[in-house]
Amino acid sequence: MVLSERTLRTFRVSRWHVAFALLLATAGFLAVTQIRNAVLIRQQLNVPPDRLQELAFRLRQQERNRAALEEQIFTLRDQLGDYERGVAQDQEKLEDLRRGLERLRILAGLAAMVGPGLVVELDDSPQPLRPGDDPNTVILHYTDLQVVVNDLWASGAEAVAINDERIVSTTGINCVGTTILCNTKRMAPPYRVTAIGDVESMQAALERSDGSLATLRGFGFPVKLARGSRLVVPAYRGSFRFSHATPVELPK
Amino acid sequence: MWLPIAGLLVGILLGFLFSVEIPLGIVKYTAIAILAAIDTILGGLRARLEDRFDLPIFVSGFFANTFFAALLTAIGDLLGVDIYLGALIAFSIRIFGNVGFIRRDLVEGYWRGLTRQERGSVFSGRQSP
Repeated sequence: MVLSERTLRTFRVSRWHVAFALLLATAGFLAVTQIRNAVLIRQQLNVPPDRLQELAFRLRQQERNRAALEEQIFTLRDQLGDYERGVAQDQEKLEDLRRGLERLRILAGLAAMVGPGLVVELDDSPQPLRPGDDPNTVILHYTDLQVVVNDLWASGAEAVAINDERIVSTTGINCVGTTILCNTKRMAPPYRVTAIGDVESMQAALERSDGSLATLRGFGFPVKLARGSRLVVPAYRGSFRFSHATPVELPK
Repeated sequence: MWLPIAGLLVGILLGFLFSVEIPLGIVKYTAIAILAAIDTILGGLRARLEDRFDLPIFVSGFFANTFFAALLTAIGDLLGVDIYLGALIAFSIRIFGNVGFIRRDLVEGYWRGLTRQERGSVFSGRQSP
């Protein structure tokens, strides 16, 4: 029994030795694996492993932020598209308004016009005045110009200017001393009336036997009539002022 | 004493031979588990030196401690409580305590052995009653 006791003791001793060996092996293996992983993490991510949770949390937070921002981008893009469509519509409206305005400017005489027409040149009579003669018989009066312009309007003129001064809705042709006032401009002879319109009709109206030109010619005023295919009537350069008049129906 | 040391060396060797990748999410828990394992081994060594070593308790303690240390830490993270830190401190204290006791036991045993040898005793270590 001494032997068996001895073997038992050696067995017992080796048993805890074996247990310790196994568990130490396990622990050593685990420790080395852990250390290697920690080193790996530190090398690859450049952060200590105990900060991983915090960093993961931050990462998730940032990812959420990013998702929110992406959503924002989508909505903003949608809005931008809406705005662009709106702008396009507005631009169409604006284009309509601009065209309307252009038409109104043409109607008001605020746009220079080009086209076929007549040029009538009138000048004072070159006949020398003898004593006792009425000087009015050799001087052109504003009424003569008015008659010519009226004839032109009546026979289809669309744009008329005297000495490059456009005749508009508020234009008056007046006599100021020895000169003629058209719009706000004083004019001296020769007077050059440019009219764009139906050439044949205007010429016929001016040249008729009891027309204005015939009368002027009868009094010996030099009258020149010329046709042009590309006459330019400049735009009205003055201003329109309505201090007393207001439209009956205000435009919306 | 050569067998446990050999076991430790074999384990370290295996650790270097086989690279097992621990997922990033559980690195924290395995660290605590390893602390628990070291604590259990030191505890076993101390029990062995103090003559109250019990193999089933030692082995079961090794696995249970490592497992529960990792589990508790994981649960703590789920709850949002830093049990990780608590486990770290608890195991650190226990490891230092065990190291201290082992050192004391070893020194005491050494002195007692010396005195026994002076007395001419055949037996050494703490096996004698």
